[in-house]
Formats: sequence, C-alpha cells, structure tokens
Amino acid sequence: MINLFKMDFHRFVRNKTMYLLLLIYSAFQIFGVFMMSLYEEPMAETGTLISKMNASEFIQSVLSQTPSWMLLYIMVFTIYFYISELNSGYYKNYITMKHARIHSVVSKIIMQAFFTLLMLATLIISDFIGRYLFLDNSSIGDLGFFLKLLSSQFLLQWAFSVLILCVAMITKKMLVSLIVGFVFALNIFGMILSSLESVLFDKAYVSDYLLVNTIMRIKDFNDLNELIVVLGIGLVSLIIFITIATTYKLKEDLK
Amino acid sequence: MSGAIIELKGLTKQFKMKTAVHKASFKINKGDIFGLIGQNGAGKSTLLKMIGGLLYPTSGDIHFFNEASDKNQLYFERMGLLIESPGLYPAYTAYQNLNLMMIAYGIKNSNEEINKLLQLVGLENEKKLKVKEFSMGMKQRLGIAIALLGSPDVLILDEPINGLDPHGIKEVRELILELNKNGLTIIISSHILEELSKVATQYAIIHEGKIMETISKDELLLKCEERIELEIDDAKEVTPVLEETLNIKHYKVNDQNTIYIYDSQVENHQIVKHLSAKGIAIHSISKHKQGLEQYFLERTGREAAYSDQFI
Repeated sequence: MINLFKMDFHRFVRNKTMYLLLLIYSAFQIFGVFMMSLYEEPMAETGTLISKMNASEFIQSVLSQTPSWMLLYIMVFTIYFYISELNSGYYKNYITMKHARIHSVVSKIIMQAFFTLLMLATLIISDFIGRYLFLDNSSIGDLGFFLKLLSSQFLLQWAFSVLILCVAMITKKMLVSLIVGFVFALNIFGMILSSLESVLFDKAYVSDYLLVNTIMRIKDFNDLNELIVVLGIGLVSLIIFITIATTYKLKEDLK
Repeated sequence: MSGAIIELKGLTKQFKMKTAVHKASFKINKGDIFGLIGQNGAGKSTLLKMIGGLLYPTSGDIHFFNEASDKNQLYFERMGLLIESPGLYPAYTAYQNLNLMMIAYGIKNSNEEINKLLQLVGLENEKKLKVKEFSMGMKQRLGIAIALLGSPDVLILDEPINGLDPHGIKEVRELILELNKNGLTIIISSHILEELSKVATQYAIIHEGKIMETISKDELLLKCEERIELEIDDAKEVTPVLEETLNIKHYKVNDQNTIYIYDSQVENHQIVKHLSAKGIAIHSISKHKQGLEQYFLERTGREAAYSDQFI
C-alpha cells in the first residue's frame, strides 16, 4: 500500500497540470474579488456587503455560487489524474502486485484529499490577498467557526472528488467523465430535485441532504445540529463512494 | 505432480454475447518460450490478460505451480506483463518511467537497477529521452524492461514485435532468447508465424477463442519436414525392409497402416521396388511437404486467399 501511495505521490508532486490548475484558480479568485469590489452589492441570502464580510462569510458566499468553481477544478483534476494513468496503460505494470487493485484506488483517493486541501488553501490565500488588496478587509472572524467551515468543506469536497472518481472509473472516458462531472458540479440534479420538492411538498425532504446541495448551502456552523448533519453527510457520502470505487475496481475487467 | 508452471483448465471468457476464449486448456512448463498463435481477434490478448490477472475468467481455472490462482492471488505478482501496448507515461523519460515502478515495488538503490535494465534492453543512451519521442521498438523494449522489474518467473509478451521494423524485431527476438537463456519462462503471442518460430519452444494455436492444438517445436518441425507417406497393410512387415534393405533410419510409424519416411536420400520408386520384391502390398505412396504457414492455416481452417493475415 505504502509503495503505491509513494508512486502516486511522486506523480502528484510532479504533475504540472495540478500546479497550473491551482495557479489559474488562484488568479481567478483574486480577479473575482477585484470585480466584486468594483460592483459591490449585498449578498442575497444575508444582505451583508462583501467588503464587510469576514473570511468565513466570504468563503461561504464564494462556495455557494453556481457554478462552484472549486468543484469544477476538483472534478477536472480527479478525472485527469485517473484517466491519464488509465490511458497510458501504466496500471498494467503494477496491478498484479498484492492487493494492488484496492491499494491503487485508496492511493488515488488520498491524492484527491491532498488536492482538495491544496484547493482550500489556495482559496483561503487567494481570498485573503484579494480582500486585503481590493476590499481592505483581512479579518478571519470567529476562528472556531472558520475551522469548522474548513473541515466540513474539506470533507464534503473530498467526498465529491471520490464521487467523480467513481464516474471516471465506470465511464473510463475523459470526455464522458467530464460531461457527467460538469452535471454533478453544476448541481443540476440538486436544483431539479429542490425545485420539484418545493413545488410538490413546499418543503425539502431529500434535497437538503444531497452532497452538492450541502456544499453550496450557507450554513451556521455554530449550530451543533447543523454541524453534525453536514459532517454526517460528508462522512456517509465518503464511505459510500469509497466502497463503490474499491468494489468496482476489485471486480473490474482491466481491458 | 505436474511439472507445469502454469496450467489452464477449461478457461472461458465471455463478453456479453461474445465468447472471446472458449474452454482453453494447456500447460506451460518452466523455461518454455510458449508461443500463442492466432490471427487478429482470435482471443490471444484476452487469454493472456486472464493469465496475467487483468481479466477474470467467466469459468475455468488457472493453476500456478499446481495451485488454483483463485486460492492464491499472489501468483499473479510473479508475472511481468507487456500486454497490447506498453504502459508508459509519454511525458516521462525512460528513466522516470522505470523509477516510478521502482517506487511501486519499493526497490532501494534504484539508480543501479534502472541502469542495468536500460542496458539490458539497449536503452542506456536514451534514458533521458521522453517516451513520446521514442520509436515503437524503443517503447516495446522499455515495456519489457518494466515487465522485468521485480524479477518475475514468467514474462507475458503480447504481440511484442507489432509495428517494429526488421532491426527492432531482431533486437526484441535476441532479447527474448537472452532472457530465456537465464531461465525465464516466456509466453509470447503473435500472428507473425515466421518470427514466432524463431523463438518458441512450445506452441498453442488459437482460433475463434478455441485452442486448436498445442505442439512442441520438435513435433512441429517433424510435421512440417519433407516426408514420404506410405500406406500399407501392416507397418510391422515393412519396417525391417526399410531398415535392412533400404538402410532408412529416419522414419516414424504413425499407425498400423501408415509410415512417414523422413530420409531425403531415398526415392519413391526404390521403396516400391523393394517392398514389391518382398510381396508387400502398397496402398499409396506420396511425397509430402507442408510449410509452417500452411500447417497453421489448416488448423485454423483458413483459406489460402486469406493467408495474408499470417505473414
């Protein structure tokens, strides 16, 4: 396990596409803050002005926007990292090793966790730079809230990346995976289900518990119940998608 | 106890409505260069992928060292695979591709080992060249180098000379023979009969997913050798005449009524003359020469018009 992890990590740190994605994301985040500073309007959900938001509020507002750029970047990286190995056929060199099928999937999932962490770090740093430069506001606010927000978002976004890994593994095609990934990242299912529920029942039963809906919803992490629900959704999604990915790989015919 | 390193028992692979491999059974002994011959789409790659652990059989068993593979998946670890195209990252150099696998195997002192492998496959001067700049032959050789990592007991090569120029083919052939000399068992598939006949010690002919025949190199050569086929009533009456009167030593009694004579010095009329003199009736006598290509085409039921499938 540790050797396959080292191999994937070696690929991960030498992956120029990853650094490019982070760089582009960072540039767009800073540019986005600049544009917000030019055309500042109060947020629809809270009525708070962007320039008055602390880091937690700002990040929540960024993540709640459709399309979620962070999900899109995570989706692109996940598909690229998996499909590039699949297309090169490199897996054939090690797949006969002991428990390599499961270990290779777990190793990929860990790499996705690293990338998710890097994306969150890029988001925080870029927003901090942007807010400092263009909004003259670098306050973090309640540190506890901030940490709860980050850990919850990490878990949710990581679970999303494992969902995308399942898509890539099952479709085996870069373009098809990207299209399906876009549908998930744009939360099309979540929006349709939310609309249907609001029309039919006037209340959300299932849609509130969907992964992408949870990622994009603005939450109060000081409310313990909400925190538990969010962490629960993240954890359950992660377990379900990891189980699907490993089970699929174990039974997969490697053509 | 069987001496086979690998034994297939009724191995079958079904893809939806298509049976790619149907009840394949044969043995591969240690030190063999086992040639799998069949036209494109015959099921060679599917069969090799099952042996290599990439595909799961629909039914049947693979035995490694007399133990069923499903009881001990670790046997797959003792195989080096080069199936279809070599698995290489095009943006990495030859050295980096090997180094990545060294990490996967947890091999220390990788630099020395990598250089040794690159030297073995003749790529020591191209180790800093990116794989995307490699010729097909260089990629195949690098693929073999990666397959040799971890010192496997069995090397599986699927169409390793596909797309190579004559120089590349010669290099790969020499490499295969060199590896086999060092005790490595090699399974090699090809539809290029002439090339396979230069290396293989055992053959299996596969057609439409079915193993038509397994045959040793010696048996094959014997079958393809020029011979006189003699049909008589009783072979026991004839053999003393062949040996004592015609001084023929190189012959084979195929069954009670048929004898194959491989002695190229003797002519048909001499045989007829001497057997008639002894009062032995001859039902038929004919010269027979079968080429390697014709032999395989007959087994796969291919018409001569399509023989360009086999080069």
